[in-house]
Amino acid sequence: MSLYNFKKIAVVPTSKDFIDIILSKTQRKTPTVVHKQYKITRIRAFYMRKVKFAQQSFHDRLTQILTEFPKLDDVHPFYADLMNVLYDKDHYKLALGQTNTARHLIDNVAKDYVRLLKYGDSLYRCKQLKRAALGRMATIMKRQGSNLTYLEQVRQHLARLPSIDPYTRTIIICGFPNVGKSSFINKITRADVEVQPYAFTTKSLYVGHTDYKYLRWQVIDTPGILDHSLEERNVIEMQAVTALAHLRACVLYFMDLSEQCGHTLDEQVKLFESIKPLFANKPLIIVANKTDIVKLEELSPERRAVLKEIEEDNEISFMEMSTITDEGVMEVKIESCEKLLSFRVDQKMRSKKVDGVLNRLHVAMPKPRDNKERPPCIPENVLIKKQQEADKRKRKLARDFEVEEGDDYIVDLAKEYTDIPEDERHDILPEIWEGHNIADYIDLEIFEKLAELEKEEEIREETGMYVVPKIELDETMQEIKKLALQIRHKKAILKDEARINKQSRKPVVPRTTGAKVRDRSVQKLRKSMETLGVDMSGSTEANFTKTKQKIRSVVGGTVAKKARMDMDTNRSLSQSRAMVKPPRNEQGIKDLAMKKKLAQIAHRAISKKVGRMGLKGEADRFIGTKMPKHLFSGKRGTGKTDRR
Amino acid sequence: MAVRTNFESKDEIGVFAKLTNAYCLASIGGSEIFYSTFEAELGDSIPVVHASLAGCRIIGRMCVGNRKGLLVPSSTFDQELQHLRNALPDSVKVQRIEERLSALGNVITCNDYVALVHPDLDRETEEIISDTLGVEVFRHTIAGNVLVGSYCVLNNRGALVHPNTSIVDQEELSSLLQVPLVAGTVNQGSSLVGAGVVVNDWCAFTGMDTTATELAVLESVFRLNEAEPSKIAQEMRASLIEGMS
Repeated sequence: MSLYNFKKIAVVPTSKDFIDIILSKTQRKTPTVVHKQYKITRIRAFYMRKVKFAQQSFHDRLTQILTEFPKLDDVHPFYADLMNVLYDKDHYKLALGQTNTARHLIDNVAKDYVRLLKYGDSLYRCKQLKRAALGRMATIMKRQGSNLTYLEQVRQHLARLPSIDPYTRTIIICGFPNVGKSSFINKITRADVEVQPYAFTTKSLYVGHTDYKYLRWQVIDTPGILDHSLEERNVIEMQAVTALAHLRACVLYFMDLSEQCGHTLDEQVKLFESIKPLFANKPLIIVANKTDIVKLEELSPERRAVLKEIEEDNEISFMEMSTITDEGVMEVKIESCEKLLSFRVDQKMRSKKVDGVLNRLHVAMPKPRDNKERPPCIPENVLIKKQQEADKRKRKLARDFEVEEGDDYIVDLAKEYTDIPEDERHDILPEIWEGHNIADYIDLEIFEKLAELEKEEEIREETGMYVVPKIELDETMQEIKKLALQIRHKKAILKDEARINKQSRKPVVPRTTGAKVRDRSVQKLRKSMETLGVDMSGSTEANFTKTKQKIRSVVGGTVAKKARMDMDTNRSLSQSRAMVKPPRNEQGIKDLAMKKKLAQIAHRAISKKVGRMGLKGEADRFIGTKMPKHLFSGKRGTGKTDRR
Repeated sequence: MAVRTNFESKDEIGVFAKLTNAYCLASIGGSEIFYSTFEAELGDSIPVVHASLAGCRIIGRMCVGNRKGLLVPSSTFDQELQHLRNALPDSVKVQRIEERLSALGNVITCNDYVALVHPDLDRETEEIISDTLGVEVFRHTIAGNVLVGSYCVLNNRGALVHPNTSIVDQEELSSLLQVPLVAGTVNQGSSLVGAGVVVNDWCAFTGMDTTATELAVLESVFRLNEAEPSKIAQEMRASLIEGMS
């Protein structure tokens, strides 16, 4: 869309990256295998190709940089000046110039070495020549390091510049810092410029777009400018000056009558006078902002006198506005657009361009050639529809009611229930009644269903379904019944008792408690006695040292093995036998049938858990070690590989 | 009212539709989106008919018609003709004509009272036009172009012609047609106004690309809203100059 798009410039690599890129590219894209027994012409061609390829890659890449970066002499003077302000023209030109030189140097190096390679008489020599050639190219590029980093910075900054079209309809906002320029652009466009109550919030140019009269208008917000000479201006101010100097636009000079920006009216007028040359031949509007604080009429006469000269100037319009209350904002926009439009149209009318379109501005009205009527033929129903649409708008809207009633207005949801009669419409229906959600019980056919059920019931009653049959009992049956009642009572009592007895009264050790630490030992006893002052020497054979040697551990193969080893000692045998417990799945099991049953129960419980929670079960395939070391280490000869 | 639409992302909707005060023809596309834009606007007031002529979709360029009649080229199939006769109201005479210049939409343009035709059209065709459509027929060119149907679009209240038509020509055409006339473009500068827009006395359809300025010109010259055609020369003058040069 825009004439100037600096976003598409390719990234400029650092010199180191640059060299790496080109050398690896050369390596990748040229043949890599050569042998000394090859014919010498072939060897030479091999290395020449490499040198030429590297040179061409360098050349292409540098040319790309040189063509993509905008030339200051070719771009619009606005951009040329802006770039001069931001990046320093001399530095920029020098960087590009040196890049160009580097390109030439690389070309020359390649030419020289290709010539030398023609005389290379062995593979080794040719290779050394190629090495030297690439080395020299790399050295040349290395020297461009600072230039390339500078260009990369410029590129990044350029890409972030707002895309300003210097030829289109433009409105420029300027003035002292903090007079409300950015607030205004935020009001009339969607630029969303940051607004803060301190000076120089806006540090660069910002662009927004607005619509007026079927056309698109570019609005530029500039950083604030202070009143001093051009040489003293800093980069931020210079951007504003550049925009003012080069863009043929409508200029809005913002003033702050309340002087809250920190500059007196006098200073503001002085600044206006000093930058006035920039406004020559441009539509100009002076906007007095912040009228919510002080209006023009409320100014004291001596301050008003300062503005007198400007106000009396016929060529400059003077407008009042407040971005806080929105008073006059639209008027300023319309006035500026109108002024610029008529200015541009005037200019265009003077040029030849407009002749081509003048015929399109003409509406040819017919001269009557007879008395025939030629009315339009619009069907009746179209007109009726149009009329209806016009009438529809006269309907009293909810908004109208709201405005009428003010704070008393309440949204009446029941108003739309046109199916329900007026007097029932506003009845209150509880949501929950006696703990039941009413909505759950709503059934449109409830009464019919009820009637149907009642009818069924009636039929049942009539047919005698509910008549209780009389049962006659003989004596033996009565006895049995009595006995059965007794048995039932007894059973219930037994059941209760069993439940009570079953409950264990023993203290339960929680799972979290740690193993009990042994607190008595011979050593401990000896120590504590010594501290108490008892002489413990010569007690090595004393009785208390003869403690029972306890066999550690509870179950498991190790214990069993040990026990078998000292089979001959009676004591340990008996002890180990006592210690050996049956496996856990056999503990407390009476017989085989019970064991089977329990196994079944356990299996069912596990499979339930596995199935429900997606756990790993017994049936899942399990590989303990994927690659057992003993199967995969060592040399393999012929023969089997699965077992060693 | 003017509506923007397109036919399978082609903005030349005048090629694929024919709109008059008594009926609307829309060609059969891949989807009903195109047809339904017409149906939504006009469905209550006039018949909106799916149509094809000689198996082609470019019906807007092949036929010509107004409130009183419809002329179709000789290549139209019998089935298609029968379909049109069935679908259109009885007050509309449907006539097939033998004419060498068979793209009737390109060589003829008309409203309910007058028609402009290609200078080389047969004399017989001219007679059929004036009989079937009930119009006065004038042989004319527009800005040196013989394809009057492509470069001119009109209803009973106004006309839009090729942007290069000189002011003298405009005055002459306006007097012939007896309606206010403006030179302009549609679809962002396309001079093929006949292909870019279809219009009747209360409604217009244009391509999606049509700019706001072009739409405003259309609405005021065809009197689709309250605006008078003279608005173009006065209120919109500045925007037009800005937009065009």
